[in-house]
Amino acid sequence: MAKSDDCIHILQGLLVFGNVVIGMCGIALTAECIYFVSNPHGLYPLLKATENNDIYAAAWIGIFVGLALFALSILGIIGVIKASRTLLLVYIILMLITFAFEMASCITAATHRDSLTPSLFLKQMLERYQKSDPASNSDKEVTKTWDKLMLQNHCCGVLGPSDWQEYESAFRVMHNDADYPWPRKCCVLDAQGLPVNLDGCKLGVPGYYNSNGCYDAISGPVNTHAWGVAWFGFAILCWTFCVLLGTMFYWSGIEY
Amino acid sequence: LPTPPARLPYVPHVPPMALLGKVTATTFALERPLCVFDGHADASDAVWLAVAFANASATFRNPRSRAEVPPYKQLPTARSYMTLETAAATYSCSAPSPPVLRVGGDTACRDQGRQDPCNGPLPSPGPYRVKFLLMGCSGPKAETRWSEPILLRRAVSPGTIDPAPTRRGSDVVVIASILASLGAVLATAVLGALGVKAWGSLCRQDLGTDAFTRRSYRTHHIPPVLPRPPPPGCGCSPPGLC
Repeated sequence: MAKSDDCIHILQGLLVFGNVVIGMCGIALTAECIYFVSNPHGLYPLLKATENNDIYAAAWIGIFVGLALFALSILGIIGVIKASRTLLLVYIILMLITFAFEMASCITAATHRDSLTPSLFLKQMLERYQKSDPASNSDKEVTKTWDKLMLQNHCCGVLGPSDWQEYESAFRVMHNDADYPWPRKCCVLDAQGLPVNLDGCKLGVPGYYNSNGCYDAISGPVNTHAWGVAWFGFAILCWTFCVLLGTMFYWSGIEY
Repeated sequence: LPTPPARLPYVPHVPPMALLGKVTATTFALERPLCVFDGHADASDAVWLAVAFANASATFRNPRSRAEVPPYKQLPTARSYMTLETAAATYSCSAPSPPVLRVGGDTACRDQGRQDPCNGPLPSPGPYRVKFLLMGCSGPKAETRWSEPILLRRAVSPGTIDPAPTRRGSDVVVIASILASLGAVLATAVLGALGVKAWGSLCRQDLGTDAFTRRSYRTHHIPPVLPRPPPPGCGCSPPGLC
């Protein structure tokens, strides 16, 4: 009898430990998702304009799942210590529901990260940047976001300034090719915001224009966002799976 | 008869250095013809650039005086024009100058329709051929050879861009498959445990010996066994010792 008492205590201890970890991870997931939703790099308008901002939906689900995990972990700890069948049954069922939501969030984040290719941003930029009569607010937002992006990261276009040469664009409709082979924001600007050497910029003389594309500046934060939600959620779910199996085993051993 | 202009062996060309804007949709750059006209040019002479469609370069006739120079706005009809009138001294060997010329960079003269030589943007992708012509007061004095055909950039519509991802990342497959299997195992385990419990309580069977945690222990009252009264007839005072 003493040996099985020890086993019980060890199992209880492991389950309490497992639930403590779940609680802490839940808080961490909530914090991480709040950070992503707060749009720290200002890229939200670009993603919204692609009509594919499911990465943000995944982050919103992550916020609520994190809080749910924290609350359920407390319920789990109480249920394990008091060895209450009802509490543990409620815990298991609610945890399964949370598991399902978090699963949806992870898979959504991972899938939609894949769809954010350079071609997607290129097409959006060419069709919307500096569109002459912006059809909607999102076009103006796209223009402002691109201007800020090109200014802050000293980059031009998605793959490079030749994007503006290889493809027709809304920008080209408004600005002729001879004066604006690429937007002025692609030129190296001085403190007043004027090009250092406009002719050098138009000719493409190295040093007077920004030759690298902005795709890295976009994909870096978006990747961090997506992988943060997807892989961290995946790790939490693997741990939760083990804790839930242990809890079910414990629950089935409790007798009235 | 005026003497025919001297044919110089220089061939105008697009500069070889890496400049992203050396050929755009309506402009192109040329290397400056430095040192080419030394020995032929006087102080008052001017160097012009003749631009013609590649298939019209053979029929181009040098103008006999400055008044006959074909202007920019005749390009669609005459298939050629002359522009970039520059003093010959600008192209002499010792002149410090930026190393390239940009043809087509002046949008103001196109819009205002001035009569001066206009370096306006080229209206179509071409291809074009160019040559430099040294004009003096009495007519052309020297010319370079025609360049190779220069084809300008042609832009395609962004509708040709396909935004779909080329391949599905392996991360998605890993995450989706593992999570789906974990979820399935959990769901099966919960249903199985509930089912077994429900079946057990329906059949009222004692389900084995997983005898750990007892939440409540139903106590059975076992009445204490009373000692049997001694058989009558034995009047011993210490019990059992007769």
